Amino acid sequence: MTIKIENLSHSFGKIAALKDISTSIKPKSITVLIGPNAAGKSTLLRCIIGAIRPNSGKVLIDKMPAHKLSARVLAKCAAYVPQRPIVSAAFSVREVVELGRYVLPRNISKVDKALDQLDLTKLEDRAFQNLSVGQQQRVALARAFAQISVNGHLILDEPMSAMDLNYVYKCVDLLRAKAESGATVILALHDLSLAATIADNVLLLDNGKLILSGDVNEVMQPGHLTKVFGIELERVARAGGKDALLVK
Amino acid sequence: MSALTKRPLIALAILFIIALAVVVLRLLIDRPPGGELTLAWPEESYAKYRFTSAFVGVMIGASLAISGVLLQALLRNPLASPFILGLSSGAGLGVMIGMYLGYVFGIQFANDATGTAPAMVGAVFILLIVYLLGRRRGVLDPLSLVLVGVILSAMCGAGMMVLQYLVPDGLRGDLLIWMMGQIPQVLNNSQLIIVTTVCIAGLIVATIMGKAMDAATFSDDEARSIGLNLGPTRLAMFLLAGALAAVTVAIAGPIGFVGLIAPHAARLVVGPRHRILVIAAAAVGAILVVAADATSQAIDFGHGRLPVGVFTALIGGPAFIWLLRSGKGQV
Repeated sequence: MTIKIENLSHSFGKIAALKDISTSIKPKSITVLIGPNAAGKSTLLRCIIGAIRPNSGKVLIDKMPAHKLSARVLAKCAAYVPQRPIVSAAFSVREVVELGRYVLPRNISKVDKALDQLDLTKLEDRAFQNLSVGQQQRVALARAFAQISVNGHLILDEPMSAMDLNYVYKCVDLLRAKAESGATVILALHDLSLAATIADNVLLLDNGKLILSGDVNEVMQPGHLTKVFGIELERVARAGGKDALLVK
Repeated sequence: MSALTKRPLIALAILFIIALAVVVLRLLIDRPPGGELTLAWPEESYAKYRFTSAFVGVMIGASLAISGVLLQALLRNPLASPFILGLSSGAGLGVMIGMYLGYVFGIQFANDATGTAPAMVGAVFILLIVYLLGRRRGVLDPLSLVLVGVILSAMCGAGMMVLQYLVPDGLRGDLLIWMMGQIPQVLNNSQLIIVTTVCIAGLIVATIMGKAMDAATFSDDEARSIGLNLGPTRLAMFLLAGALAAVTVAIAGPIGFVGLIAPHAARLVVGPRHRILVIAAAAVGAILVVAADATSQAIDFGHGRLPVGVFTALIGGPAFIWLLRSGKGQV
């Protein structure tokens, strides 16, 4: 399953959110979108899931334009998690996760596994609306895990922004495992250190333009990031892992 | 079957038993003007009226409740009720125009066997305008729907006020009583067929749509990402809720609070899943309206029977405040 973005541009009124973006998402890997606020990260993710019909250009999912795919077809190949999940009914945690299978055959074991992976089994009867935002983000991730197939796409918009640090790194491990088993993970992050830790590939966006894309070690260079974020950074080598990014 | 799945079904069975009991009570209750309250099986000459009244009460209550469930899910708003879209005001304006035409030209619209026509025309006309103005990028937008509904309600209210100045006092009184809602004891066959067909079709379609309504409680992007075709689903919910509300308001006037309270009360007993919620809310709505109608028959202050909407408001108002304060009022 491939995702290709071709000359994608989109405006909200007079504000250009995306400007002529072209790139390919490497399958079975983790691609992270970084950039300052209003860089176009969320808009790009919404174009990928077909929620926005772009003004020009297109996102191709398995060679089909995303905005032309029916919701039913798209749900079978991609799951989406917004930064702030919303459920306006008093559903329990389990009921929300089960809705990930809305157009798919019922699969209790997959729902149970997703709940277990995100440490939600003890919370499964609690009302979603009564959880903290960080817990709600875990539920939304579990719902996405219950939905996607082994080689599906996970499209995540700041999915861990309100989680406790232990859960952030638990999710990092889970997403890594998903990518290694065949899933394509695309996520927007504002935490550059976390991005450097989790990403295989990075798309650096600024003011709606794709500034740079490629391997994490090529893109996450202090020189590139300073130009976009306006802050001095340095890479610090870590034993047995990827380099960390620190503010000077 | 686990205890968890059994509980809503038991609750549903209890609701149906209560509904049946209330219908029997409505059939038995009798209080002639100025007379004593009695409980007895009606004589043959009265039976038809009481059966009609009980049957129509069930249909109206169930329709209002189903419409409320649909709108609360569509608008993602626990305060939504069948009349939030301005249908009752549109129907009221229709009735007022009918009365005015009757007064000026001697045309009988509002008080004969086809008296539901002006209300129906008014409600459907408003529904059409709300549909046309309540969309963003081709899809019905919950916030736009509410705003358009509120504005149209105010405009229809102003139109009714203007017409009230133009008609004689007696007709003003008729409108006031119509605005509180009445369960009719006499309906012609076509009215009976319409109210029954719309209610039963509404119940079946809304139950089938239950899972889609569950999914529609997610944000737009999430709902679409799990496979919900949002545009057609919202349109179906809107049309169904509108048709149910339009028919009830045309037959019985705007009976308040039932469409607001019945879904919340049903949620307390069967939970938030819409497939079972629709059926439970229909039962609660039927109970509320038939019980209010029975109460209306039992109480006599010497000036004729009070409109049924008075009792639904008196029960529904405090119940709504309790829901609000207890934090149990969720979609």
